[in-house]
Amino acid sequence: MSAVKHEIGGKRFLSFVLAVAIAFSMLLGRLWYVQILHGDEYYRASTENIIRNIEVSPPRGRLLDRNSTVLAENRPSFDVVVHPHQFVEPKDADTPRPLQLLQGYLNLSKEDVERLAKSISQKQGEVLIARDVTRAQVALVETDRLRLPGVEVRANSHRQYPLEQVTAHVVGFMGEIRANELKDSEQFGYRSGDYVGRMGIERAYESILRGAPGIERQVVDARGIPQGEAETRFLIGDYQKVEPIAGRDLVTTIDARLHLIIDEAMRNYPAGGVVALDPRDGSLLAMYSKPSFNPNSWSGRLSSQEKLRSDNDPYKPMLDKTVSAYFPGSTFKIVGALATFEEGVMGADDEFKCPGYYRFGGRNFRCWKHGGHGDMTVSQALQHSCDVYFYHVAETIGIDKIAEYGYGFGFGELTGYPINDESPGRMPTKEWHRKRSPDGFKYGFALNTILGQGDTLATPLQVALAYGAVANGGDVYYPRVIDRVQTAAGDPLFVFDPKVRKTVKMDPVALEEIRKGLWLAVNGDGGTAYAHRPENIEVSGKTGTAQVHKIGRIRVANRDKELRFRDHAWFAGYAPSDEPTLVLVVFLQHGGHGGSDAAPVAMDIITRYFAGEDPLAQKIGEKHVAPTPSVAGVGERDDVSSGDIEDVNDLISSDAGMDFETDQESPSE
Amino acid sequence: MSERRRSRFLGRIDWILMGLVVVISGIGILNLFSASRAAYGMPVHISQSLWFAIGSVVAVLTMLVDYKWFERWAYFAFGAVCVLLVAVLFVGTELNGSYRWLNFGFFMMQPSELLKVGVILFTARYLHDRDFSAGMSLADLVVPCGIVGASVFLVLKQPDLGTSLVILSIFGSILLYQGLRMSSLMTLAVVGLLSIPVVWNFGMHDYQRARVVSFLNLDEDTHGSSWQVRQSIIAFGSGRAWGKGHVESTQIQKGFVPEHENDFVAANWGEERGFVGMAGLLGLYFALIVWGLRIASLARDKFGALVAVGVSATIFWHVFVNVGMVTGMLPVVGLTLPFMSAGGSSLVTLMFEIGLLMNVSIRRRTLI
Repeated sequence: MSAVKHEIGGKRFLSFVLAVAIAFSMLLGRLWYVQILHGDEYYRASTENIIRNIEVSPPRGRLLDRNSTVLAENRPSFDVVVHPHQFVEPKDADTPRPLQLLQGYLNLSKEDVERLAKSISQKQGEVLIARDVTRAQVALVETDRLRLPGVEVRANSHRQYPLEQVTAHVVGFMGEIRANELKDSEQFGYRSGDYVGRMGIERAYESILRGAPGIERQVVDARGIPQGEAETRFLIGDYQKVEPIAGRDLVTTIDARLHLIIDEAMRNYPAGGVVALDPRDGSLLAMYSKPSFNPNSWSGRLSSQEKLRSDNDPYKPMLDKTVSAYFPGSTFKIVGALATFEEGVMGADDEFKCPGYYRFGGRNFRCWKHGGHGDMTVSQALQHSCDVYFYHVAETIGIDKIAEYGYGFGFGELTGYPINDESPGRMPTKEWHRKRSPDGFKYGFALNTILGQGDTLATPLQVALAYGAVANGGDVYYPRVIDRVQTAAGDPLFVFDPKVRKTVKMDPVALEEIRKGLWLAVNGDGGTAYAHRPENIEVSGKTGTAQVHKIGRIRVANRDKELRFRDHAWFAGYAPSDEPTLVLVVFLQHGGHGGSDAAPVAMDIITRYFAGEDPLAQKIGEKHVAPTPSVAGVGERDDVSSGDIEDVNDLISSDAGMDFETDQESPSE
Repeated sequence: MSERRRSRFLGRIDWILMGLVVVISGIGILNLFSASRAAYGMPVHISQSLWFAIGSVVAVLTMLVDYKWFERWAYFAFGAVCVLLVAVLFVGTELNGSYRWLNFGFFMMQPSELLKVGVILFTARYLHDRDFSAGMSLADLVVPCGIVGASVFLVLKQPDLGTSLVILSIFGSILLYQGLRMSSLMTLAVVGLLSIPVVWNFGMHDYQRARVVSFLNLDEDTHGSSWQVRQSIIAFGSGRAWGKGHVESTQIQKGFVPEHENDFVAANWGEERGFVGMAGLLGLYFALIVWGLRIASLARDKFGALVAVGVSATIFWHVFVNVGMVTGMLPVVGLTLPFMSAGGSSLVTLMFEIGLLMNVSIRRRTLI
């Protein structure tokens, strides 16, 4: 046994003590760094750890029509969330696992369940299991609470559109906010899972409708469980609540009754747009587009069948046709008529003979009536929609002048419609043709242009505003959709005043003759709409047939052509003829013939509108199921096949664009 | 014992050692009282007190018998622990992915805890039997390192990196106290550095590597082990100079620091007592370690001295690594804080070691 005799103070003892001292100094140094140097910073971090801000969202503002009929409202909905810390697996193997139960009750897919299991295992905050579940599902979850620990059914609200597809384009719908949008909107209080307007007024007036969320602050522990009152008061004092700002209601100029009348009148035609406005102030009474879509489905869950149907529909249901540009056809002739007077081509009583054709540039341009109309004044030319008359005018003044008068009426430029993206249309000029037409500019183009063919493009809204100018004596208004903003209680906060955008320079004689022509078209024998004139009200207007495709030199009847080659049918007019209060434009895409197709639809609408018919009231009377708030959403959802929950955001990206006709043929020989 | 021998015995009892241990353990229990308010079940400060009582009995028993008895049975004890270590790899109970516990029905036991004592006894006995007054050469090191290394390897297999490293550190401390030749030291240093990449790639599990990686990237806001450390640092830091006061640790009590009764128990003390409190606690540990080294220097023979060094080293390494870990200075390796972390087996083992220390102290050389 060797004796290691180290004295106290022996070298080894000291060196070890020193080593330990150095190590402990390092620890003290680190503690100094954390606790003294950065102590305040960590103190702040520690309080932030425990204060949680809960945001309280106010209800979204409603959309009302001019008579306070509800166009968009909120209905109660239920979400299912789970608190991960309380979500424990059952001890014995026989008890079914909670996620399994939820999968069955809520129709979750396998991928959903896997994704949820992963989120839950991270034990952070809350996990949303399902949004807007049916009442049956709520019942299933609630009655099985004992086997579903930590699962909460939470009340929420969901957007609902009582009129469904009838007002879909102008009212719009809502979709869940996307990640890239969230980046910019987070500062305004948007959170993941929030819904934003995706089309129509819902989108254009999103911030007014949404309001701003309030904040409620709580002291919580690491599991997010709120702590006691005393604790809360101690740590955050009185700064516990920030009140939310309520979403505001919007009263629109839209007339729901009129939309319903239009919807019924359009039943025989698959596609088109109808615009109705008040010529006295530019208020839009109807902005109807067909085919349409169900905003309740699009704001909630879209089945894959619906999505596929929408994508493959050649008539593009997501497109708002009221502000898409098409060949206006003969409705455009009022431009030519005005030019006639203003440029001094003809006087009010001057006549021009239409033999059925017009000789220009070595070719014969045909009139639609092969035999010709004989001698015509301007107003008669409008009445009979004589092409030859206007060919003459076109040749006389040239394409640039036509464009000038077109712009004068508001064609070729944006109307200022604030709701959906609109096309400016097109008024072709020499310059434009030089740049765009394959063979450059040709004088013959003017002849097509004045007929609303060739490269002339206009939206139904532009046509309506132009005819409105004729109806009210020359004012082209800004289209007005929102009448006022008001609180949920009905107190007005802001009123939108009508505003004139431009005034058409019109000689009083010119105006009178144009009006006469439009009156004669409906009420004068031989007028293109004469056959369909209504009994109880005087209507003035103009038909239009825009030729889309000509097969060779032979004019084939519309019914014998493929759908997409058929002519567009238009009617544009106002009523009553004296002191008009309504301007109506009916556009039937590939609808056939203005006189025989568009005019009857328009007259039907006008008659029923002025007679005060109310389809909603009638339907209830006939026990027809009109969409009611409590049924619409729920019924839709139950029919949706399981697991097909689509992200509607991806669907409207390309379709919300504009429709241009690119295949054109001039109506020459 | 006769009257005189008893009084001599009592007179030689190291009251300072006992006092330090009691005070630190008392702080530990007090700390757990406050920290355990965040938990459910039996208040852990009560169970800790019970374990301390049991441990004290163990310490007293250990102290009574002349430590020559331990010297005689040192190799046997070491061998027995190795057998248990092999057993745990085959029939051990799994917990969090590693096999560390043996279930004896009415109690569970961690053989790796016992190895800490086993290695001390083995090394002390081995070095005591030989003369290395000229320092240990490489040749001298082969056998002890090999044997101890093999036993540590068994622990590493469980897997338990933290305990393996601390046992090696204790072993190394004892060797250093004995004295190594410069050449050996240099060679070991070089070999150690060279073996790092080997160990990194082949010796470590993914999660262990992940821990080191996340340690180095502590500033990132990630969840997982560095989130835990970040919460611990916030707890410490928010204590600032004087602490938030008894039972006022918001971070611990609100559950933001996981493992707050075991590995991260210092965070509660740091949050409630601040820098002053931590400095005081470290001071107590420092005193304890230095006192242990003093006992080593006064021991009557090499075996006693080396055992004392071993026990002091055990305390030192645990404190250093644990406090370093919970303040973000070192990677997370799951080492408990002596006398403070809740846990019966580690406390009882520690008290056994204190008993040995007491033993060596009582039978020290008397200074004349």
